[in-house]
Amino acid sequence: MKAIQIFDPALCCPTGVCGTQVDQALVVAAADFDWARQQGAAIERYNLAQQPLAFAENAAVKGFLERSGQEALPLVLVDGEVALAGRYPTRSELARWAGLTAQQDASGCCSGGRCC
Amino acid sequence: MQFLDAAPRFLFFTGKGGVGKTSLACASAIRLAAAGRKVLLVSTDPASNVAQVFEQPIGNVVTPIAAVPNLSALEIDPEAAAQAYRDRIVGPVRGVLPEDVVRGIEEQLSGACTTEIAAFDEFTALLTDGELVRGFDHIVFDTAPTGHTIRLLQLPGAWSGFLDTNANGASCLGPLSGLEKQRVQYRAAVEALADAQRTRLVLVARAQASTLREVVRTHEELAAIGLVRQHLVVNGVMPEGEAGRDPLAAAIVRREAAALANLPEGLRGLPIDRVPLMPFNLVGLPALQALLDPAARGPAEAPAQTAQHPSLPDLAALVDDIAADGHGLVMLMGKGGVGKTTLAAAVAVELARRGLPVHLTTSDPAAHLAETLEGSLDGLTVSRIDPKAETERYRRHVLETKGRELDAQGRALLEEDLRSPCTEEIAVFQAFSRVIREAGRKFVVMDTAPTGHTLLLLDATGAYHREIARNMDKSGVAHYTTPMMQLQDPQRTKVLIVTLAETTPVLEAARLQDDLRRAGIEPWAWIVNNSLGAAAHASTLLARRAAHEWPQIQAVREHHARRLAVVALQAEEPVGVARLAALAAPNPPMPVVAPA
Repeated sequence: MKAIQIFDPALCCPTGVCGTQVDQALVVAAADFDWARQQGAAIERYNLAQQPLAFAENAAVKGFLERSGQEALPLVLVDGEVALAGRYPTRSELARWAGLTAQQDASGCCSGGRCC
Repeated sequence: MQFLDAAPRFLFFTGKGGVGKTSLACASAIRLAAAGRKVLLVSTDPASNVAQVFEQPIGNVVTPIAAVPNLSALEIDPEAAAQAYRDRIVGPVRGVLPEDVVRGIEEQLSGACTTEIAAFDEFTALLTDGELVRGFDHIVFDTAPTGHTIRLLQLPGAWSGFLDTNANGASCLGPLSGLEKQRVQYRAAVEALADAQRTRLVLVARAQASTLREVVRTHEELAAIGLVRQHLVVNGVMPEGEAGRDPLAAAIVRREAAALANLPEGLRGLPIDRVPLMPFNLVGLPALQALLDPAARGPAEAPAQTAQHPSLPDLAALVDDIAADGHGLVMLMGKGGVGKTTLAAAVAVELARRGLPVHLTTSDPAAHLAETLEGSLDGLTVSRIDPKAETERYRRHVLETKGRELDAQGRALLEEDLRSPCTEEIAVFQAFSRVIREAGRKFVVMDTAPTGHTLLLLDATGAYHREIARNMDKSGVAHYTTPMMQLQDPQRTKVLIVTLAETTPVLEAARLQDDLRRAGIEPWAWIVNNSLGAAAHASTLLARRAAHEWPQIQAVREHHARRLAVVALQAEEPVGVARLAALAAPNPPMPVVAPA
């Protein structure tokens, strides 16, 4: 199984409900990661505010931060290779990368009609 | 004193500011040490007064108190602990990651939760019998961990996320996940708190209906999370013997007796002690020994001389200046128990009486404006930012909007995150921002929550300000006003610092002023409340207290305040529109009792 790594911007909590504005994309993403984990996917999230060392020690992530800045996060690596940047993956993307049985997006970002 | 009988290993003193928590903790530690026990006194107040009380430096290592055999003390500074935590996280990547990225991380870690959890992290070693506390029979804490902290530690998602490198999207545990202590040690600390054999919680209050109501809330909150062994100490009670000689003393005795007779239901089952009002300021070893030991009090003598001192400025004059602007935000700040609610109501009533539109509001969870006003007045509207209600509204709003598209499992995850105590801070802040916008058209008089809470609120305002500023700059909008800008603008906002004419409250108010100045807010005036100086006293106790007040009022006038008002202690509790209006009436001409 492929390892999926999510490098988050500096967050207080993974759904962002503690922030001054709740980011819909973050709420949906947290639910999607939870779903994919339940299906057996190997997903790790790194929060810039809590594990900055994980960002600094990964050449791909460090280079990305230097080139594009923290505004360009999140960054998604699949088996160490950049797979996606600037937005969170959808359920079907997660399923594809993790080799799960494809499933209808139950809460994918397109259903909200905002980000696509 | 029942609260010291068969004292267990851990003694926690808790209660709102100004009730004498630190004095009682120090006095208890001294008493236990005098009985031959080895005692460690621990302060977790970032503005600790323990060093001042014992007149020697202490700091964050266990330090023997020179003047008291068997007693050592330790000052934990949660702010410093939080800073150490930030350094631990950020240090290794400084110079490695881009500079603006490092700044962003530091900003994210400057919130209230980081500070609270860092403080608890420091607590745990003391509660779980580490090397540090070996050899001590009693550990006396002058504050208890808040219900907020303990709830945070008890969140269902807490430990899974902690152990699995935060991979499971556990609730708002940000700061917790990075701290070094083991889950086992946190759990052991929470268990020690809940163990009646090891831990006693002493609720400190004054004999006032409003503080007693607040104590009920603390009592219930901490009992609900397992701290069941609790005592109540009513501090600063006017001795009945003073009543015969002095109408003011008699009124206070009556008022306090009524408050204690009507003790809220929830407190009646607790063991209760009363500690009498002292005629002196509680600073220095002899004063603290005397607090719990009548034999150490010495003879009660009236002050030797009386003298006139110049008439003191009154609240009426302050209100004149406030009214001149026609509108604006008026915020009353200070430690709990100094009378912010009453004075906010008095200012609002006086402005309304002059025909000005006023909105009186509070963000203090313990304040009861409706009870203070007991009536209504044309032009005066009253509201309350209720943290519980605001949090519930915010939760519902997020679930209905952001959670709309989620499936059941996703909603459950979001709901768990929304149970985080951080949610309350943000919900209260949003309500606060809504209210202060009104100050462009009318007067908004705000009775703020006690100091620590208020500063958290302001901190949230600052974080919000930076976020808005970033977004606005990005999108090229040139003119915008954030709540922080409004608070910093003297044309729009007047901060009134409220204090009592006693040593420690004045020092604490001065520290608050420093904090506000650091946040770019210049306090507009000080109000010295409950002053005895404006009347002659037949009661020896009151006369001695009045004599001790004068140097404090002088200190405020000469060193701290740009404008000053002095409000006299009232014979009757200042409740109701008529009595509130009287507070803002011009001070009567003196005869004043003061040392020559």
